[in-house]
Formats: sequence, C-alpha cells, structure tokens
Amino acid sequence: MTGTAAPTPRIPIAPHMQVYRPTLTMVMSIMHRLTGTALYAGTVVFVWWLVAVAAGRVAYETFLDVFGSVPGLVVLFGLTWAVLHHALGGIRHLIWDVGRAHTYPWREYLARANLIGSLTLSATLWVVFYPW
Amino acid sequence: MRAFLPLNFGTDTASWVAKGKIWNTPAGAKATRVFEIYRYDSESGRGPRLDVYHIDRGSCGPMVLDALIKIKNEIDPTLTFRRSCREGVCGSCSMSIGGRNWLACTQRIDDIEGSIRIFPLNHFPVKKDLVVDQRHVLAQHQIIQPWLKTAKPAPEGEWLQSPEDRVKLDGYYECILCFSCTGGCPSYWWNGDRYLGPAVLLQAYRWIVDSRDEATGQRLDTLEDPFRLYRCHTIMNCTKTCPKGLEPAKAIARIKAMLVARQH
Ligand code: HEM
Ligand code: SF4
Ligand code: FES
Repeated sequence: MTGTAAPTPRIPIAPHMQVYRPTLTMVMSIMHRLTGTALYAGTVVFVWWLVAVAAGRVAYETFLDVFGSVPGLVVLFGLTWAVLHHALGGIRHLIWDVGRAHTYPWREYLARANLIGSLTLSATLWVVFYPW
Repeated sequence: MRAFLPLNFGTDTASWVAKGKIWNTPAGAKATRVFEIYRYDSESGRGPRLDVYHIDRGSCGPMVLDALIKIKNEIDPTLTFRRSCREGVCGSCSMSIGGRNWLACTQRIDDIEGSIRIFPLNHFPVKKDLVVDQRHVLAQHQIIQPWLKTAKPAPEGEWLQSPEDRVKLDGYYECILCFSCTGGCPSYWWNGDRYLGPAVLLQAYRWIVDSRDEATGQRLDTLEDPFRLYRCHTIMNCTKTCPKGLEPAKAIARIKAMLVARQH
C-alpha cells in the first residue's frame, strides 16, 4: 500500500500497580525475588571468604578488614537475613504448593510468620554469635 | 497504605490519567460520599481522566453499583459500565474499587473509608470508562477448551457422576468469569500476553477434575508450558480478590502438582 496510513488509535491500559492496594503476600513475593537476587551477590562474598581461607593470612586479614568494618557488617547481617528470609519463603511456597493455608487468615499468618521469623532468627543469631 | 505508587507512575502516554471534572456537591445532603471514577472515551480524542462525583449517601442504595447507577441517572448519563444481575451472579460489574477488584453490586459503600476510587479492571485495554476489552482473555479461555470432552459414545440419558466426584467441583464450578482475579495478578500484568492468568487456570482445573471428562492428559499437555501455567508465582492476590470466595491459587497449585505426579 502507498500513502499514509491512518495512525492506529492508541488504546489506554487500565492502571494496575499504580492503584492496587498492596497486599502482604504481594510484598512477600517481591521480597522473595529481592532476597533471591541478593543471594546471588551473596555467593560472591561466600566464595571470596573460601578463597581467603585457602590463600592464607594476608588474604584472610584483608577479608576481615573489609567485612569487620561497619559497612561490611551491615552487608553480612543483610545476607544473614536474606538467606533466612528466602529459605523460610521457600517453605512458605512449599506449604502453598501442596494446597495448604490458602484460606483467610492462614495465608496471612504464613506470610507474617515468614517475615517475623526471618527477622528474629537473624537478630538472634547475631546477638548470640557476634562478640559484642 | 492505599497504593504503592503515584497514579501515573511509569504509564505510557496513552494510558496517562489526567485530572477530570469535579461535579457539584448535592444540595441539602447529610452524608456525602466522594467517588473518583476513571473516564475514557475514544471518540473524544483525549486520554483518560479521573472525574470526581459527590453522592448523597442518604438517597443512595448500599452498594457501589447503586452509586454508579445514581450517577448515571441523576448526574452524568455518559458514565459507562457493565452490569446485569446486580446480585453477584453474572460477573459483569467487576472493577477496581478502592484498590482491589470486586463486583460493584456486592461491594458495600460503607465498607470503604474516604473517597472511593474506581478504575476499570487492572491492565485490561479500556473500551469506554469502566468497560474493558476482554477479547484476549476470552481467547485464552478457549485455549483450555471449557467444555466436556469425551471419547466414549454418549449415554442415552446424561453423563452420570457420583456425589463424591461431584464434590470435587465445589469451589471451582461457582466461578462467574468476572476476571477480578486475573486483573489483580501482577504476573498477568507483566506476562498476560502468554500467561493464562488465574481465572482461566481455575477453569482449566474445573475440567481436569471433572470425573466425566476424558481429556485430562491432553488438558495437562496444553498447560505444561513455562508461560501458560508457570508464570504463577503464588502471589495470592487472586484468592484474596475473588468476590465469590474461590481459590484460584489453589487450583493452580493442584495443576502443578498433577504435572509433577504424572512424571512418576
Ligand atoms: C544461595 C542460595 C539461593 C539463591 C542464590 C536463590 C536465588 C533465587 C532466585 C534468584 C529466585 C527467583 C526469584 C523469583 O523468580 O521470584 C529464587 C526463587 C525461589 N527460591 Fe531461591 N535461592 C537460594 C536458596 C533457596 C533456598 C534455600 C530455598 C528453599 C528453602 C529457595 C526456594 C526458592 C523458591 C521456592 C523459589 C520460587 C519462588 C517463586 O515461584 O516465585 N531458594 N531463588
Ligand atoms: S475465580 Fe473468582 S475472581 Fe476469578 S473469575 Fe472466577 S469468580 Fe471471578
Ligand atoms: S451486576 Fe451481575 S455480578 Fe454485579
């Protein structure tokens, strides 16, 4: 065909994430993905630690300097929380996958248990094992 | 919290919602409720806008649909929406009300605080005001072949089913295809072109578990696909927003479990 075609009218799409009232399970889904992604970065830290242990005193002290600093400790605490939150999230998914706890209020309790559980476990581990 | 984001966060120019007209407060009204309603008319040559209506609660029925009808009858006859049964059985009047999807005819006005924001079903293309274009999701419904498929010769009377087998349809046959769940599903927002969404998958399960149906294997084959089924990340918005109290997420979990089970 030649000539100018009439511009196709652009049809609006109804707003979605802009207007949806946040739900706890929806936020937990986002957090599961965020923590999963954070764990990818976490494996780099973990491998660094393994190599530092193998490489000897100087390399290991460098690792200690980096992760013994305040920003380093924040990263380590964050990774502790990420791995626990993601692992508990995995159990949450498993429970839902076998068809349990889909009804109100159990699905909300499950999501809350995931969040509260990961926060208290991380805090407990650090309070107990870190030489304050 | 009302919503994650500002109204026009990240929207394309065609979907951008402008401020609309503010309609007058009714004279002598005792209890006024504010409705913010999404308006769009493709013939106006302009994009969507959000109009504000003030309703006298004292002279309005209890449901959001009553308010919409009141607006159409008394304030603005151009307001367009779908409704038929006005008692939660036809599925026509599903829309986004106060940040979740529900049937306007079963959503009480008094159960929502503050101004009531109403949009068409999330992420559907808009035809006019609160009426959305359902062609795509209805084509997806056809993919799962929502009818009884049998190989055996038809019996003289009906296809019989034991009461125990009939019970397996409870919680699934009641779906009225309002698509509240599909509209509320973030996975459908991002992958709705290929992901079938909770309503269609619940329907798929309804036929899979029907003891009279003889195409179970073929139905599972149709769903064994990274996009059609496995874009479900169990976000749970579907189950929370179903105005009939059904559990689409559970139906989807059951399908996933059947796909795993048949590998062994
Ligand atoms: C270092 C270890 C891990 C890494 C790097 C990791 C990473 C990830 C990533 C990137 C995702 C994708 C997120 C998404 O699609 O929403 C994911 C999903 C998932 N992870 Fe992990 N993960 C790890 C450990 C675990 C553990 C220990 C569990 C279980 C106890 C688990 C259970 C799951 C489940 C069930 C999903 C799927 C969620 C969904 O359907 O959306 N993961 N993981
Ligand atoms: S499962 Fe519920 S929300 Fe989804 S289409 Fe059916 S009735 Fe509507
Ligand atoms: S009008 Fe039929 S479901 Fe609301």
